[in-house]
Order: sequence, then C-alpha cells, then structure tokens
Amino acid sequence: MSEEEFDCVVIGAGCAGPAAAKKAAELGLKVVLLEKSLAPGTKNVSGTCLNTAALIDPDLHYIMEGPVEREIKEIRMHHITPDRSTIIHEIPTGGILLLSIRRDHFDAWHTEQARKAGAEVKLGTTVVDIIEDIDYVKGVVTDKGDIYYGKVIIDAAGVNSIVGRKAGLIPKRTGTNMILYVTVNVELGKEVIDERFGDCIEYYLAPGIQYKTWPWIFPKNEVVTLGTGGYMDENLINEEFPSINTYMENFLNLPLVKEKLEGGKIVAWGLHLEYDEPIEKRVKNGLILTGEAGGFVIPFLGEGMPEAFFTGIYAAKAAKEAIEADDLSEEKLNETYEDLLQQNTFMQSFWYVGKENKESILTKTDREISEMMQNVIISGGFITNVVHNKWMKGAEEEDIELVKEGYDFLEFIQPYRQVASDFNEIYKKRRSQ
Amino acid sequence: MKFEIVVDFYPGDTGEFIKVNEENCTGCGMCAKFCTRDVWVQYDVIYRPSNLKQCVECGACWNVCEYNAVIFSEPAGGTGVKFTYG
Repeated sequence: MSEEEFDCVVIGAGCAGPAAAKKAAELGLKVVLLEKSLAPGTKNVSGTCLNTAALIDPDLHYIMEGPVEREIKEIRMHHITPDRSTIIHEIPTGGILLLSIRRDHFDAWHTEQARKAGAEVKLGTTVVDIIEDIDYVKGVVTDKGDIYYGKVIIDAAGVNSIVGRKAGLIPKRTGTNMILYVTVNVELGKEVIDERFGDCIEYYLAPGIQYKTWPWIFPKNEVVTLGTGGYMDENLINEEFPSINTYMENFLNLPLVKEKLEGGKIVAWGLHLEYDEPIEKRVKNGLILTGEAGGFVIPFLGEGMPEAFFTGIYAAKAAKEAIEADDLSEEKLNETYEDLLQQNTFMQSFWYVGKENKESILTKTDREISEMMQNVIISGGFITNVVHNKWMKGAEEEDIELVKEGYDFLEFIQPYRQVASDFNEIYKKRRSQ
Repeated sequence: MKFEIVVDFYPGDTGEFIKVNEENCTGCGMCAKFCTRDVWVQYDVIYRPSNLKQCVECGACWNVCEYNAVIFSEPAGGTGVKFTYG
C-alpha cells in the first residue's frame, strides 16, 4: 500500500481521460492517469467513428494525428420494409465526414500523448473507492489499497464509473434513459471491404433488427463493425427477443447484410450501455465528471467521443484555474467548466438536435418512426428534421416563435454545416507531420 | 451468417466484483432478464451472479435492480473482459 499526492488524478484511459491528463500536464499540473486494464481501450468502451465537424476545433486538432483505420466519405441509408428496400447513397462533395478508428490502437496512442506531455500513467490499476473529507473529494483508493490524493479528481471512467457512483452523482438508469447495444466485428480483409463497403458507413432500419434506434455498419481496415440495440425499457427484451443478441442475429441475417458479409468471420463481440440524458450534477467539491461518466454522450445520434475529448480538456482547464485560485469548491470548478461547455457550438447543437429528435422518436409508433426516418434520410438528416418539425408545429399552432426558433437554430449551426474544406486542409497538414 | 459470441478475457482472478445483497433481493429477475451473458442464476427465490466469469462488465444488472440488491464494483486491476475494436 502506498500513498501519493498529485494536483490531478484522472481515472480512465478511454477518450476523456487521456485528453484530460494531457491538457493538465501541458498546463503544468502534476497529474496521474489511472487505467484498470493492462492496455488502454480494451475495457468496455464504445465509439468507433470520429466526427470531423468536432475535430476542426483547435483544441482537438492533435486528435487528427492518431491512428486512423479509414477515412469515411460517404453514407448509405437502408430503409427496409416487407414491401420494398429503399437505399439512399449520399456522397458529400470533397470531404471526410468521419474518421473510423480501432479503440485499442487509438486509446493507446492517446494515452501515449498524455504520457509524453508529462502525465504519469498507471495501467492495470483499478479504482474501487473515493476518499472524502468534509464534503470534499480528496482522492481515490485502488483494489490494492494504494491511495492517490488529488487536489482535483477527474472522473473519466465511463458510464458506470465507480467514482461518480460513490460520489453520489451517477444514479441508476434504465428505461428511455439508457441504451443497451451489442456490437460484432466481422473480419473480411481490406480488399473485400474496399469492394463491398468502400469508405462508406451504412445505416439500416428494418423489422426486427432494432428497438427505437438505428443499426449501423462502420468499416475499419480489416474488419467491419456492426451495432444494434435499443432503449432499456420493458419492451426491449420479450418472448420474441429474449436477448439483445436476437436483434443482432436478425441484423446479420438480413439478406442485404448477409450478402455483404459473405465469407467473413466474427472476430469480436461487444456489449455496451450508453446513457442518453445529461447527468444532473457533474461537479462536486474536488471532483469533475467527464465523457460518459458525466453523461456527455448522445447515443441516439451516434455521438460521444468528441464530447469526451472536449469535456476532458475542459475539466483540466477548470482544475488548473481552481488550483491557482486555491479554491477547489464545486462553485469554482463549475464556473469554468460550465462556461467552456456553453461556448462549445458543436456540443450545444448536438444536445439540441438529440433532444428534439429523441422526443419525436419516443412519442411515435414504429410505423411513424419508419416514416419519420425516411423523411430524415430524404430531407438531409436530423438537423433538417429539427428545423422542419419546429416550422410545421409553428404553422399548426399559428405560433411564429416556433418557426423563428427553428430558423435561429439553422443560423446557429451554419459554421458546422460547411467544414469539409477546412477540415481537409488541417487534416492533411497534421497527417504529413 | 452464423452468429458467434467471441469474448476475450485477461488472465487472473477478478475477485467477486459483482455480489448480491440477499436480504434486498426480491427475486424479481430483472438482473437476469437484462443480462446478455447468463451471469445470474435463480436459487429458490433470490438470484446470484453464479457465472461471474462470463461477465463483460456492462452494468445492466446494477442499473435495472430497483431494490439495491446488486453490488457492482470493479474487477481487480488488469483482469476481466478484454475488448479491442470499440
């Protein structure tokens, strides 16, 4: 048993943890990053594609230097009913939409960046408890009984983080707040993937393959990853679907999918929980929750990794200011943290779009969802759907304010609708270094 | 396509990182219903995480238990499930 003191103790080497540890070290703080597995990115992580609209933020430019599996440039949407299959193939002009990554490779690289910046990294180190003293979180205890004291503890330990749970910030979550989903990785080899998928991600909606979510296939270098699942309410598991795997089995055996996976082999299977609501309180005296631990994920829109990077970085900045001011209180930490979150257009717009679309999904029948999804696909995605819904509702209720709200939002997100050329330029420069 | 569940684990003893508080357990079976890995087994009324070695640490059982009967901690450092692709 040992005891050590740091300015910052960061728990979890997924997306948020290395970002926080790197930034904290760059800001001159003495920081340690604790990871329970022997290699970063090998615990219960999810997230396979990075949204380039987030990476153009200068805080995230360095992320472009990480190991990339595939540069995603196209999207195919498959809408399948017993009567017909509708496939929309969208090819935006000249831009990389997403960067497909492998989490074991990427998180290991990211952790190495934190180490190079000056953070101490401890792998195979499981945090099982926190130390609190007069309402302040002061440190964490590992399964070996070692104690790491920190002026500020940054929790980046994921959806079920024991740090956030022990601190009373992470509650139990089910029903329409939590998504349970399964992934499988099918090895096909690079050449076959190039031919059958290319640099294109695919979404599917079909009977029996999802529960109020949308299944996807993301190509990597040698494998493709498939994911599906649904909200954890009383209808997710039933006689017809005794396990979440039933949805996946149906997905794999959908004729269109089956054909594309012909000759492939399942090399990995995964199971994940994702929280679909912001956590009420993300900061406590001496403690900041980031990434999935803080509920900064929008699984409905397939968003999560950039939010984790951002919140990790912002937590480190908040820690630095609090330590300098010698005030580690919730108020002080929250002041900087909330301010940075509020300024982030990418995150604000995704929260807004996620919330609006989730509301319309949960109140609709499966048939209505199918119709809405078709509209979403044809009319250019979830952002348009929000604006369209506001407009229609405003017309119906004769309330011009609703129409204005939709229009204002469209204006607000303009900078993020045309990022391709900016991104490509920065990306090219970063990759050539 | 043949659906296979392929899961890797780190070697080593995880310890009993999931336990049941038998006094709180009402035998409602929600833990078993949402467990994809058949970890939970019913004994008379209550459930126990008898097949903990199969657990992939998703936490569904802890989240769905309304009676605070699931005690969900962490496997010992460097043990438990090992994922790769994300």
